Amino acid sequence: MPDHVLTLQGLTKVFSTDRGPITAVDKVDFDVRGDEFFTMLGPSGCGKTTTLRMIAGLETSTAGKILFNDEDFTRFSAFRRNIGMVFQSYALFPHMTLFENAAYGLRIRGLDNDLIKKKVAEILALLGLDELAERYPADLSGGQQQRVSIARALVYEPGMLLLDEPLANLDAKLRVDMREEIRRIQKELGIMSIYVTHDQEEAMSVSDRLAVFNLGQLMQAGHPEEVYADPTSLFVADFIGKANFFPAHVTNRDGTGAKVSLNSGQELALSRLVEVRESEKADIVDGYDATLMVRPEHVEIGQPGKGEIDCHVRRIQFLGSFIRYIGKCSDATQEVIVDSPRAVPGIEEGSEASVTIHPADARLFHKGDGS
Amino acid sequence: MSDAVTATVDARGPKKGIDWFPYVVAILSGIILVVFLAYPIGKTTLYSFVLLDDDLTFGNLTLANFRNFIEVPLYTDALQNSITIAAWTTVATVVLALPAAYAVARIDIPYRTFLLTFSIIPLIAPPFIGAYSWIILFGNQGMIRRYFDILFGIDIPTIYGPFGIVLALSLHYFPFVFLFTQGALAASDPFIEESAHIMGAPRSRIMCSITFPLVIPAIGAGAVLVFVRTLGNFGVPAVLGKEYMVLTTLMVYQVNGYFNLNAASAIALANVALTLIAVFFLARIQRRRRFITVTSTTRAAKRHTGRGAKIAGNAYVWSLFILAVMPQIIVLFYSFAERWAGSLWPQRMGWGNYHHVLTELTEPIFNSIFLAGGATLLAVFFGTLAAYISQRKQFFGKWLLDMTIMLPFIMPGIITGVAFLTTFNTGILILTGTASIIMLAYFVRRLAYIFRAVSAAISQVDNKIDEASTICGAAWGYTMRRVTIPLVAPGMLAGGILVFSTLIIELSITIMVYSADWQTMSVLMFEQLLDDQIEYATATGSIAIILTISLVFAASRLVGKSMADMFR
Repeated sequence: MPDHVLTLQGLTKVFSTDRGPITAVDKVDFDVRGDEFFTMLGPSGCGKTTTLRMIAGLETSTAGKILFNDEDFTRFSAFRRNIGMVFQSYALFPHMTLFENAAYGLRIRGLDNDLIKKKVAEILALLGLDELAERYPADLSGGQQQRVSIARALVYEPGMLLLDEPLANLDAKLRVDMREEIRRIQKELGIMSIYVTHDQEEAMSVSDRLAVFNLGQLMQAGHPEEVYADPTSLFVADFIGKANFFPAHVTNRDGTGAKVSLNSGQELALSRLVEVRESEKADIVDGYDATLMVRPEHVEIGQPGKGEIDCHVRRIQFLGSFIRYIGKCSDATQEVIVDSPRAVPGIEEGSEASVTIHPADARLFHKGDGS
Repeated sequence: MSDAVTATVDARGPKKGIDWFPYVVAILSGIILVVFLAYPIGKTTLYSFVLLDDDLTFGNLTLANFRNFIEVPLYTDALQNSITIAAWTTVATVVLALPAAYAVARIDIPYRTFLLTFSIIPLIAPPFIGAYSWIILFGNQGMIRRYFDILFGIDIPTIYGPFGIVLALSLHYFPFVFLFTQGALAASDPFIEESAHIMGAPRSRIMCSITFPLVIPAIGAGAVLVFVRTLGNFGVPAVLGKEYMVLTTLMVYQVNGYFNLNAASAIALANVALTLIAVFFLARIQRRRRFITVTSTTRAAKRHTGRGAKIAGNAYVWSLFILAVMPQIIVLFYSFAERWAGSLWPQRMGWGNYHHVLTELTEPIFNSIFLAGGATLLAVFFGTLAAYISQRKQFFGKWLLDMTIMLPFIMPGIITGVAFLTTFNTGILILTGTASIIMLAYFVRRLAYIFRAVSAAISQVDNKIDEASTICGAAWGYTMRRVTIPLVAPGMLAGGILVFSTLIIELSITIMVYSADWQTMSVLMFEQLLDDQIEYATATGSIAIILTISLVFAASRLVGKSMADMFR
């Protein structure tokens, strides 16, 4: 398998509407290599699907370039790009059998009949559909239809596979099974895949790398654990996983670190500021009002007065492998969430408590950034 | 394993460049629309502002043709008569149809499906044949008048004049209001009525305050359709009107009598103006009352179960529909009367009239099938392309395309006829006297039907299916051929059959543009009626009605809709 490279350079899409131009995708840059499973993640209307459709050629870009193996793809017609695509609605051809659906791309490429039969049989076997070849799409379950659309997209060995929220129409259990299945096949065939979803758990679990979009902009791209642990914006911190936010006043900026004081008057020494975007790092000077972010597993809950911030425990959820404490706290902009591996004695719903922050895992952001 | 596929991919020619095919097709369709639709309508409009025999120059522009509507009694009367007939017919159809629609939707009526199918027969049958059956009954020598004269010595009034026209047209067009209203009632959400019931409203109150107000847009749509069709109808006032002239008969009078196309154009424009007012009125009703009451719930609204309601409902519905198909039954009966002169009952019955019609008059029948068939193929081809472009492509001026195509939909057929006669009689493209002028006028007149049917079919097909085909590597033409067209084929075919079935009995356009060489079945019937060859006219009419019903039946099977739904 050749080592394909897809490169997006300053890709931009502006839709003209009755209410004036709307920038759906704003100067997006990223590249995807080899057999990477790359996911575009974000809330609806963030530009991820438009970006995917521009890669597919179903939408023309307003500015920027799409390169595939250094060849400029930007102005190619969609049907000449040799891409495979799986749609949310599956978009199977309802008047063709499962076999004919899968054979469609091969017939266009003018393969002879025996070769088509062989290749379709191979791909159907790979997806466990061999028994159903003569059925029509209407006779298949949602999961089976999704497999057919994957078979149809892969059979002609496209340069890359695009998946537009392919699991959105399946029920919860099947969704988990299918995403593992998609990843298994993708790795088996070694095909570059670009996946679009708004479900962050799905994105985290299947992707080699993911890109978080908001308001048409690429906010951050990286390995899932990296994006989770070191978000570079408040938006990403809030969108990926759970997070606690506290107002913090910078008292002592020092090289790569800083001292901040919380509203309660407690001081915290933060060792690193590297996660903040380079351009914004300079703004964090003494006297600056910032926002402190810390994940629920990096805070501890204890008796009142023990930690930095007092809170009132509103709700305790037993979530299997851990216990989640949800509290209301006068110092935080939102509810405070504490995930603890075991129950903390003496803390009950309705009781007063206090929260301790691990400074090493806390991050400092511009106030109101990214939301 | 990938060598074979990669090789064929590379062999598919240069990757760059545009797929020109869709643009070529779009431009071709555009030219057809401009030449045969926009141009004739535009030219007719301009013609109405110059006098007969004057050239179409700026200096010759005048309102003289329109001044006739104020100054010439013939014109003033025709305009008034048209409005009177259209208004009374509309009122009559609503009054006739509403109780029937309510009864069919809310009372147990045996053989309901049959009844709904039955209800389209008046719509399918050529109205002037239906009108003639009223002459058979109540004309100067009418059967019933004769019975009354012979049996009781009573001289009852004849059917000629405005009353007869309104009667014939009302029985012909009321199924539109009936079908629209019944459909809306059947689809309305039963929970709304139930919640009113639970709040303590009695049935009569629910009917007045909830049930009917919610279906007002449907009633309005049916009523406006009746108003517009009545304005454009030529056959019925021509058969029953005698000296009572309306705009359409005046138009034909100006053309056949004086070949004054300028005057005819002005009358056409006045007719269109009335139509537009009606359509504008409908748009207002529908904008003000845009409720979403249609539900996917399979529960039907509660039906009346009382014995009295059942008997009254059944009696009303069945007598109305029997009355409505009575003209067709009389036509059928008369077609078997070989000799019937001055007696109560025909002297001889048999197949003789059919024998005569089929052996000696095969040419008009063949002409009708040929002209209607050609026009249908054209309409299906261009209607489908236009519908595809309008549904699937975004481009500047799309509303103009939609409007141009839909224009003949709201324009009476006879006006299309005048427009074609005016436009292609002189100038660069002279078509008068040829088959093509009839075929093209049919095509233009019915294009909107296909456009609407196929637009609806395309909107049902997920755009992503086309995109999936493109992504698989198919160019536009291949996607159209293998995916889009096969998926909308039932809609195209059903639309095509429906168009064909209405064109083989088309009279309003044909009367304007036909020539001796290209006489059609409808013109033949019309002339047979004028020549008092009633037995042949009724035989030709019966063939036409049966042919049409069979075709509509075939179309309804094809799309899996009931025959009644094809007209909703």
